[in-house]
Amino acid sequence: MNTETDFDAIVVGSGISGGWAAKELTEKGLKVLMLERGAPIRHGADYKGEHMAPWDIPFGGKPLRELYKNEYAIQSKIYAFDETTRHFFNNDKENPYVYNEEKPFQWKRGDVLGGRSLTWGRQVYRWSDLDFEANKNDGHGIDWPIRYKDIAPWYSYVEKFVGVSGEALGLPHLPDGEFQPPMAMNFMERKIKKSIEENFPERHMTIGRCAIQTEAKNNRGACHYCGPCARGCSVGAYFSSQSSTLPAAEKTGNLTTLTQSVVEGLDYDPAQGKVSGVRVIDAQTGAKKTYRAKLVFLCASTVASTQILLNSKSESFRNGMANRSGALGRYLMDHTDGNGAYGIMTGDLDKYHKGNRPNGVYIPRFRNLPGQSQSPNFLRGYGYQGGSMRMDWKQMSQQVPGFGVRFKQSLRAPGPWIAYLGGFGEHLPDQNSRMMLDDNQVDRFGIPQVRFDSAFGKNEKAMAVDVVEQAELMLKTAGATMVKGFTSNSTPGDAIHEMGTARMGNDPSESVLNGWNQAHDVKNLFVTDGSCMTSSSCVNPSITYMALTARAVDYAVKQLHAGNI
Amino acid sequence: MDRRTLLKNTAMVLGGLASASVARAVLAGVDSGVAVKTPIFTALQREKCSVLTEIIIPRTDTPGAIDAGVPHFVEVMVSDWYTDRERQIFFAGLEALDQYCTDNFEKRFLECSAEQRINALEQAEKDIKDYKPETDGMAGEGEGSLLPGPEDEGKPFFSKIKELTVLGYYTSEVGATEELRYDPMPMEYTDIEFSEIGRQWSS
Repeated sequence: MNTETDFDAIVVGSGISGGWAAKELTEKGLKVLMLERGAPIRHGADYKGEHMAPWDIPFGGKPLRELYKNEYAIQSKIYAFDETTRHFFNNDKENPYVYNEEKPFQWKRGDVLGGRSLTWGRQVYRWSDLDFEANKNDGHGIDWPIRYKDIAPWYSYVEKFVGVSGEALGLPHLPDGEFQPPMAMNFMERKIKKSIEENFPERHMTIGRCAIQTEAKNNRGACHYCGPCARGCSVGAYFSSQSSTLPAAEKTGNLTTLTQSVVEGLDYDPAQGKVSGVRVIDAQTGAKKTYRAKLVFLCASTVASTQILLNSKSESFRNGMANRSGALGRYLMDHTDGNGAYGIMTGDLDKYHKGNRPNGVYIPRFRNLPGQSQSPNFLRGYGYQGGSMRMDWKQMSQQVPGFGVRFKQSLRAPGPWIAYLGGFGEHLPDQNSRMMLDDNQVDRFGIPQVRFDSAFGKNEKAMAVDVVEQAELMLKTAGATMVKGFTSNSTPGDAIHEMGTARMGNDPSESVLNGWNQAHDVKNLFVTDGSCMTSSSCVNPSITYMALTARAVDYAVKQLHAGNI
Repeated sequence: MDRRTLLKNTAMVLGGLASASVARAVLAGVDSGVAVKTPIFTALQREKCSVLTEIIIPRTDTPGAIDAGVPHFVEVMVSDWYTDRERQIFFAGLEALDQYCTDNFEKRFLECSAEQRINALEQAEKDIKDYKPETDGMAGEGEGSLLPGPEDEGKPFFSKIKELTVLGYYTSEVGATEELRYDPMPMEYTDIEFSEIGRQWSS
């Protein structure tokens, strides 16, 4: 078996976290090897669905049912999955995993360079101490080893580079960031906002804070409002590894990238207390190779990073690397999703909107805030994402009966205004919500398949009831008619905010990572993707992974130079 | 959030930096780009479909379904995208039109007058009243219920031909740019008065 030792650091994964790790490490002068299991995707050149005209999309944009059912059974449920984006996603048939049928887990994965940074929802919200202190205050999970003040400067650092548009609100529980000018709300959204803020004193509605530039900056363009970001954006208006972190890392001359390189596991050197090698399988040839480096950053995504650690067994770590606590694989969290309400806002048919805004509105958490009376039914809280727009011909053609000249004429104008609010709810950490390696089944590389055992609990279900009720109430109050609440009975994975399984903590006996994302027991190993999370908040998590990654790199490199690693 | 931004249907839909050109003079029967992979239509079925799409979206002061190449789109969808069950319902529906016309007008559908053909299609539309959808076509699993859900394979012939005609027409270059309005590079998101453009956006 070959070994190579000529890298200062190895980064596993090229998505949101891996891209940041590579950028920061290379900019600090380290020679970095980035390993990505998927195929290469070039910025611009490989965005084959970008700006595709409706008439060029196969089958009018309808799903290829047989193919999706057989090969993309999980990924095809993603809102951003269709023929213009399919090449970015995982083939589920080739990459199987297992779960108990009664407790399905939707593992939604990219399978290309850039990972899910190409197709993510781009919503970015800072955490606050309401989140970092939540476990300590209500006793679910263990306390975070960090507080908002530890991460705040790193939020600022990454936000400036990411290019975040949004509105400052001055809310302590949803801290403001480094914002470019916010995208606009439309006429009806402003009307709903006014109603909510007049009738519900502690509630706010704002435009989504998103990783889409409204100003040309950072060698990237501003949004041109074509709409479907997930097809790729060759002007780089939204943040992806391809548009942002990878070019920065490549510019240093310190980055080596290997795609179609699957990490099987890590080798451990007990004498040094360090990772001594990263075992890689060439996805095309099956050839195996081990790479060595001074630092290893696992950024393969929540589930994949923990899969690698669980599959890294040695005399020292019989249950997986850095797993003396037994916490590895446990406390798997997501957000509840798909609960809310919609309704028709009658009138104002002379008002319309121009442009396809790839963003919606946001109603920050308003439940169980400090100083409020606390809900008797559930702990923690949720936020809404939503919007209002005129119904289009696709929707209206199903409502308008008949055919012929009058039918055609009726579709010339858009339908009525429709408004929608959907909640994302916090998921309490629970040791029985977990992933593990299956005892029997392996994948095409011989790596044990992931087995999930995770379900939402009583708190999430009780919260979802309030999510629906309050959405209905706010829409009705704003004047909506035909208001209809909906509950999708989402299961973990649906929100694509999966996190936990290698949590941070102060106590090595109950956590995997310390307050610097460094493994308690393996000093050159850092895990900075969603697996590090100790609780889940209710806001979209990606910007927090970015800030934690940049912070961890800063610490790791200082420790390396000081001779402590 | 555009994620669940809801209404994948409404908001995003298909952007595009088309070679937004003059209306391509796409004639019925002319291959509008994508060939039928597994041709199964008889000449008669093709002709019937063509007539039906034009009844559903006729030429007015703007092009109609035939001008937009919709008959070819319908043939592609039925031949290459439909399931066997959907095809069976579709072809049975075409047959039923002939049966209805024979019973009522003593002529086959294509031999009927324009009024009689419309009457036959109106009759077909009545079939959908008692139909109970197998899915509501909306509730996407794990998403907001406004997102498109599983296809309703069992829906009657009328729903099928209408859906395909509408989809083919409004996603065609002619339908998207001449009947509706298409702006692949809006450069802004802003309020406008509907009267400023007088049509809805096609995407």
